Formats: sequence, C-alpha cells, structure tokens
Amino acid sequence: MLACYDAAGPMQRAQVLFLAKFFGVLIAAYLLIAWNPVNDRVIVPFTEGIAVASGALLNAMGQQVTVQGTAISSSRFGVNINNGCNGVEAMLILLASIVAFPATARARIAGLLLGAVVVQLLNEVRIISLYLLGAYYPRLFDLFHTAVWQIVIILAAIAFFLVWSARVAPTRVASRA
Amino acid sequence: MPRLEWQAALKALAGFAIGVAFWLMASPLYDRAIAASAQGVMRAFETPKVTRLRPADDNYVTVDRSDFDPRSKRPAISVRDLTFNIVLLIALFAASKRTFSDRNIGGFLAAAAALALTHVGATIVEVMSIYVAKLGPWSRVHYSDFDRNLWGVAGHFYRLVLMYAIVFALWWTLRDPAAPAAAVTAKKKKKR
Repeated sequence: MLACYDAAGPMQRAQVLFLAKFFGVLIAAYLLIAWNPVNDRVIVPFTEGIAVASGALLNAMGQQVTVQGTAISSSRFGVNINNGCNGVEAMLILLASIVAFPATARARIAGLLLGAVVVQLLNEVRIISLYLLGAYYPRLFDLFHTAVWQIVIILAAIAFFLVWSARVAPTRVASRA
Repeated sequence: MPRLEWQAALKALAGFAIGVAFWLMASPLYDRAIAASAQGVMRAFETPKVTRLRPADDNYVTVDRSDFDPRSKRPAISVRDLTFNIVLLIALFAASKRTFSDRNIGGFLAAAAALALTHVGATIVEVMSIYVAKLGPWSRVHYSDFDRNLWGVAGHFYRLVLMYAIVFALWWTLRDPAAPAAAVTAKKKKKR
C-alpha cells in the first residue's frame, strides 16, 4: 500500500510530508484571504454573489426576500452571510488537502474545480435551509447554524477529497509498485 | 462510486448524529473542564495570577480578572462554539471500515485527548483576544498593536478553518488503515 495511506506503525515520511504541506498551504491560503485587499475585492463580492443566488432561490420558493450586500432579509427573518458561512472555509480545507496530496496538476485542477462546485452547491442548501429554519423554526436555528451545517459542509469537503484521492492514487501505486 | 463508500457515508451519518447528541449532552460539563484547564494554564503564566473563568448558566464562560473594576461589566465567551469539532471527529472515525476495532477505538481516544488539548488552547486564545482588543482603553494601555494582530488572527484562524483542519489531521494520522480511501485504493491495486 502507498506509504501516505499507511497509518500503521510509526508515522511514515509521506504522511508527515502530506500534513506539513496541508498546514503550510492552509496557513498561506488563510493569510491571503484574510488580507484586507483580498477580503474586500474577492471574498466580499463572492459572498454577495452567494447572497444574490440564495435570494433568487428563496424568492422562487415563494419567500419574499430582499438582498442587500451579504444580507438576505424579509419581514419574517434575516440572515447575514459572513466568513464561515460562505463555504470558503471548506474550500480552503479542500485546497490544502488536494495540493498536499501527490497527484498530477491536471488532476488537482479538476479536483479543485469540481470540489468548489460541490461545496458551493451544498452551501446554497445551507443558506436556504438556515433562512427557512430562522423564519419558521427559530428554536433550531442556533444549533443548525453553529454546529450541524458547519460540520456537514466540512464532512462533504473531506468526503470529496477521499473520493478524489482514491481515484488519482492508483496510477501512483502502480508506478511505484 | 464504490459500494464501500456508501457504507462509509452511512456510518459517517450515524456518527454525526451520535456526535451531535453527545456534544449537546456533554457540553455543560466538558466546557467547565476546558474553562478550568484554560484558567489553570493562564494563571501559571500570569504575575500576579488574576484571570478567572467562571462558567455561567447560559453556555457562556464569564471572563473575570481580580484587577478589574468590580463595577465594570464582565465579557463572556462561548466555549461551546470552540468545541463542536468533536462531532466531526466522531463522524470521521465512525466511517472506518472496522468502526469498533481496537485500532480505530484507540485512535479515536488518542485523537479526542489531543483535541481536548487544542480546546484548552483555543479557549486561551479567545480570552487573550478579549484582553488585547475588546476592553477599550484597558486593552490599549496593556497590549500593543502587534499583540492585537497576533491574538486576533489566531482566534479568527482557529474559528474559520483550524478547528476543522486539526480534526482532519488527527483522523488522517490516527485512523484505522482500513479507512474508506485506503481500502478502495488497495482494492483497485489488487485488480491491476
């Protein structure tokens, strides 16, 4: 079995390398998106786009909402999409794990693009469900906002990475065996 | 998608549900233990020893200092918001092919112990974020801009991604080798 998959016995060199790269990329990517110019010119407009899409979907479902910047509101309830609710956190985990995993550049780009789409589609479901929970079942809002959806989104990102890595790994296993 | 991964997904879902229930039930007691540990660590490095973290009834921990004006309002932190990543850890270990193997259970317990240490660290970072930036003139007098940036970034980084990355790294390191991706890879290798 490929060393980086083998958790038996002492930690293998490939596993250490994977984790070092994973945290290195994660820290670099975080510092980049936390930098004010990037946050203001990339992350905030991206989050506003998510709010517009979520607002359109909610209106299509008969909810009469208005969107202002990153906020979605109606006479019933309002949500403001901040960092941590825009799916960027899951995309960072996905980015760090895919870049750290040994694969071709083509496989990485395909994984990143497809993974970002999966995360963002799921994130739309999160925002719409949180709005509906807040509007109709407000007692459940905090639990779903704080814990449930955060974990579901990250689990989805990790699951995507595992499926992707299982698909790209065999060629490396074959070439090393 | 291979059949094995559907089984893993179902196990992860069950682990997730159990994890949420466990987290909701254990939080009040667990958060007290984390707050007490964080207080102990902070006081070990303080001269004089002034920090007190007092659990309140509403899932919050009140941050108190014996050198604060007794009339001033005390800030509070939600330790619960820092510890819910235990749910992710439970879901990931539950997804293992051999969920109840000695190896998987041992790995989970070791990961949970390591995670508890990171919860103590995260609580300290949260308290320091309050000290350096949220106490008005007191913060400005006692801490520099560098301190404010350092603790502020550390707190934000933990809440945004680090709390999940730590869980992923612990699981990746301590999981049973028969975890989903490894098993699928081994299966494909045999076919070749």
